[in-house]
Amino acid sequence: MRGAKSAKWVVGAIVVAMAATACGGGSNDSGKGGGAVFRLGITEPTAIDPVNAQESEGTLVARQLFTGLYGVNDDGTLKPLLATSSKANDKGDEWEFQVKPGTKFSNGEPVNAEAFIRGWTRGGAKASASDVGYHLDNIVGYEDLHAGKSDKLTGATAEGENTIKVKLSKPDFEFDKKTVHPVYSPVPKVAGAGDNKAFNDAPIGNGPFKMAGSWEHNKKISLVRNDDYALQKPAVEKVEFTILNPSNAATLEYKGFEKGEFDWARMPTPQLPVAKAKYDPQGEWIKFDSPGINYILTFQEDGPMKSADARKAISYAIDREAIAKGVFQGLQEPATAILPPTFKEVYKADQCTSCMKQDKAKAKEYAEKAGLKPGDTIGFGFNTGAGHEEWVQAVAKQVEDVLGVKIKLEPLPFKEALAKQQAKGTTGLWRQAWSADYPTADNFLTPLLSTSGINPDAAGKAQGDNRGRYSNPKFDELLVKARNTKDAAERTKVYQEAEKLAIDEDQAAIPTWKRTQYRLANSKKFSGLKLDFFEDPNIAEIGIK
Amino acid sequence: MGKYVIRRIGQMVIVLFGATLILFACLFVLPGDPVGSLGGDKARDPAVIQQLRERYGLDKPLVEQYGTYVSNLVQGDLGEDYTQRREVTEVLSPKLGNTAKLAVAAIVIDVVLGILAGLIAALFRYSFWDVLVTLLTTMAIGFPSFVIGMILQSQFAVNLGWFPLISDGSFNSLIMPAFTLAIIDAALVARLMRGTMLEVLRADYVKTAIAKGLPRRTVLLKHVMRNSIIPVVTYIGISFGGLLGGALITEAIFNWDGIGFALVTAIQQQNNPIIVGVVTYGVAVFVLLNLLVDLLYAVLDPRIRLS
Repeated sequence: MRGAKSAKWVVGAIVVAMAATACGGGSNDSGKGGGAVFRLGITEPTAIDPVNAQESEGTLVARQLFTGLYGVNDDGTLKPLLATSSKANDKGDEWEFQVKPGTKFSNGEPVNAEAFIRGWTRGGAKASASDVGYHLDNIVGYEDLHAGKSDKLTGATAEGENTIKVKLSKPDFEFDKKTVHPVYSPVPKVAGAGDNKAFNDAPIGNGPFKMAGSWEHNKKISLVRNDDYALQKPAVEKVEFTILNPSNAATLEYKGFEKGEFDWARMPTPQLPVAKAKYDPQGEWIKFDSPGINYILTFQEDGPMKSADARKAISYAIDREAIAKGVFQGLQEPATAILPPTFKEVYKADQCTSCMKQDKAKAKEYAEKAGLKPGDTIGFGFNTGAGHEEWVQAVAKQVEDVLGVKIKLEPLPFKEALAKQQAKGTTGLWRQAWSADYPTADNFLTPLLSTSGINPDAAGKAQGDNRGRYSNPKFDELLVKARNTKDAAERTKVYQEAEKLAIDEDQAAIPTWKRTQYRLANSKKFSGLKLDFFEDPNIAEIGIK
Repeated sequence: MGKYVIRRIGQMVIVLFGATLILFACLFVLPGDPVGSLGGDKARDPAVIQQLRERYGLDKPLVEQYGTYVSNLVQGDLGEDYTQRREVTEVLSPKLGNTAKLAVAAIVIDVVLGILAGLIAALFRYSFWDVLVTLLTTMAIGFPSFVIGMILQSQFAVNLGWFPLISDGSFNSLIMPAFTLAIIDAALVARLMRGTMLEVLRADYVKTAIAKGLPRRTVLLKHVMRNSIIPVVTYIGISFGGLLGGALITEAIFNWDGIGFALVTAIQQQNNPIIVGVVTYGVAVFVLLNLLVDLLYAVLDPRIRLS
C-alpha cells in the first residue's frame, strides 16, 4: 500500500512543513465578510454528543451545545450555570440541586430536573458503552445501570419540576464539582438511547449555540447562536469548526491564522518562538497554565525504583531549569508539585523538595542509600511521535552524568507503550502526563496515586491510571478523610497533606513540567478572548470589536 | 473475450478472500488490544472495554470472527469502526470518492503533460525543447512530492491566495494536490514516452510505412503513437492503482480527506474494520485495473490475444 509505505515520510513532511511556515508570507488578520463568525480548526472528534464526548475537541463542541449545572472559573472555583443552589447533607453522601426554572432546549422541550437525570442515565447505560460514563460512578445505582441490570440510575431522583436529589455510594463533598463534565448535561427526550446515531451527529441541546445542520464528518461542524439561551446570550453569531488532518493540524491552523481564515490557532511547537515574537506585541498571543502536569512515572513493585530513596536520587539529579530554558526555549516551566497552579485554593508550590533545584550531592547520597550503583541500568520509556524525544534524552543524560548509572531509553509506539506500562513486572521510569476533568485535587491524587487507581485484572495488568502501582494505606486514608470533610478550607489542608506524603516523603511520582498552553487569538476582531479552564476558547463569552 | 473477463473476475474473488483472511490473521497477532485504550494518557474503563469486546465479537476465536466478517461482507456490511462507532461503509465512502477524484485529476494531468512533453522531446530530438524537457523532468523526479506540495501551498494558497489553504473537496481545492501528485509521474511518463518513441521511430515498419509514401501524420498517429504508448499505458495503470490507494502526504498537506491517511490512522489505532475495509478495496481496485490494462493491450496491439 502506498499509504503504509509512506507512513514514515509523514514525520519528515511535518518537519519540513514547520520550516516552511517559518517563512510563510503575508498576514491578513481581519476576518472576511460581515457578521460575527468565529472560525477555528479542530481535529475530528470521537463524539460531540455529551454521552461520549471525551477528548478536548469533542468536549469543546459539546460545551457550546449543552449547558449543565456548573462551569469553572479560571481559578478553579465553580461558576453556577443552571444550578441556582446546591447543598450536601452533613455526611456528604446526599446532595440536592435546584435547577433554574423555565428554561428550554432549542426544540422547545423543558430543561428540568428530569432532563438532567435523563442525561445522566443515558451516560451510564450499558448500551452507550461510554468512555466518560465512569464520572457518574459514585451515584447509587450506577453499577446496575452500567452492567445492564437496570435501566434506571436509582440514586438520582427528580423532586417536583426543578429539584434533583442525588444519593452517593461514598461521601463526596466535592460532588458538585464533578458536574462540570459534559456527561452531566441535561438531554431532551428526542435524544433517545446513547447509540442514537441521528442525535449523535446533530445533538439538540440547551447551550449558547445550536447545530446548523448535521456534523459533516472530517469536514465541518457549524453552529449558530441559540437565541433562546437561558443565560447571557453570546455576541458571536456563528461558530465554524473546520476539521483538519491530525498529522498536520497545528501547521494548518497556524497558516490559516496567518492568512486570516481562522480566529484562533495552535502552533507547531518549533514555531512557538517565531510566532511569539510576531504576535505577542500585537496582543494576539495567549499563554495559559492549564490544569495539568507532566511527570515521570516510577514503577514501584519491582526493579531499581522500588525504594523512595532511588526515586529521590533521580529527581534531585534532574536540572529542570536547564531543560526548560534549553529544550523548551523557556516555553515550559518546572513543576514543584503534582497539583497544577490553576487550582488556586489547593495548589502549593515546592511540595516536592527534590524538584526545587538540581542537587548533585543529595542525588548521590540518596542513590547510595538506595543501593543504586554506577553502572546500574534503569529503563526510561516514552511514547514516540508526540514530541517527547528531546527532553527525555536530556533528562537521561543528566541522570547518567550525576549518578553514573546507565539510562536505557525505551521508545515505543503508543499502543505498545501503554501495554508495557500496564503490564505486571515493568520496571524503571516512564514519561507521563495528566490533565483535569474537573477542578478537584481528588481528580489528580485518586486516579494517579491511590491504591484503587491500580485496579489490577486477573493477570495483574494495571487497568487504572496508577500504573506505577504506588500504594500507601496512609495516603489512601487521607483521601477518604478529605472526601468526608465538609469544610472546604479543612479539606484543602488534608489534600495538601496527602500530596506532600506521596510526592515528597514517598516520591511516588517525579513532577517535571507544568502544563503550559499557547494560542493565537484574533483580538483585532474579538475582545476578551482567552483559554478557559478546559483549554478551550471562551467563544460564548467574547465581545466583538 | 467474455470468457476471459469472467475467469479473471472469478480469480479476483479468490484473491479478495485470500487477502481478507491473511489480513485478519495478521491483525489478530498484533500486540495490544484494539479497544483497550483511548489513545490518550488516561486509562479506559475496564467495563467499557469488556462491553466493546462483546459488541465487536473480539472475545470470540479468530475463525468465528472471520466467518461473521465474511458473511456480513457478502451482504455489503463492513462492520462498525471501533472509535466513532460509525458504519465503515459510511466512514469510507466519502473518502473513497475524494481519493478517486484526486487520482483521476492527477492521472489526467499526468497523461496530458507527460505524453505531450515526451512527444515533443522525441520528435524534436536534441532541440531546445528536448533539452528543456530533460532538465525539467530530472528536477521533477528529484524533488520529493511533499516539498513540491509545501512550495505550491505557501506560494499559491498562503501568499497569492489563488487556491483555498484547506481543501473542501471543491474543484478549486483539487488543483494543487493533483499537481503535487502528478508532477513526478508526468516526468516519468515523459521520459518513458520519449524513449520508446525514439525506438519506434527507428523501427523497420516505420521506415516501410514512410517508404510506402504514407503521409507523416498517418505514420505518426497509426504506427508510431500506437506502438510507443503500450509501455506508457502499463505504467499509468500501475500509477493509477497506487493513487487510488491514497496519497498520505499530499492528503496531510492539503487536508484532503482521502483513504491514505484513514488507513495510517486506522493502523495506529488498530481500528481493524477500517483496515480490512481499505485494504480489501485496495486489492479489488488493483486487480480490476490490471484487468483493464490487459484488455487495453488487446485493443492497442492486435497481436495480443486474450484467451
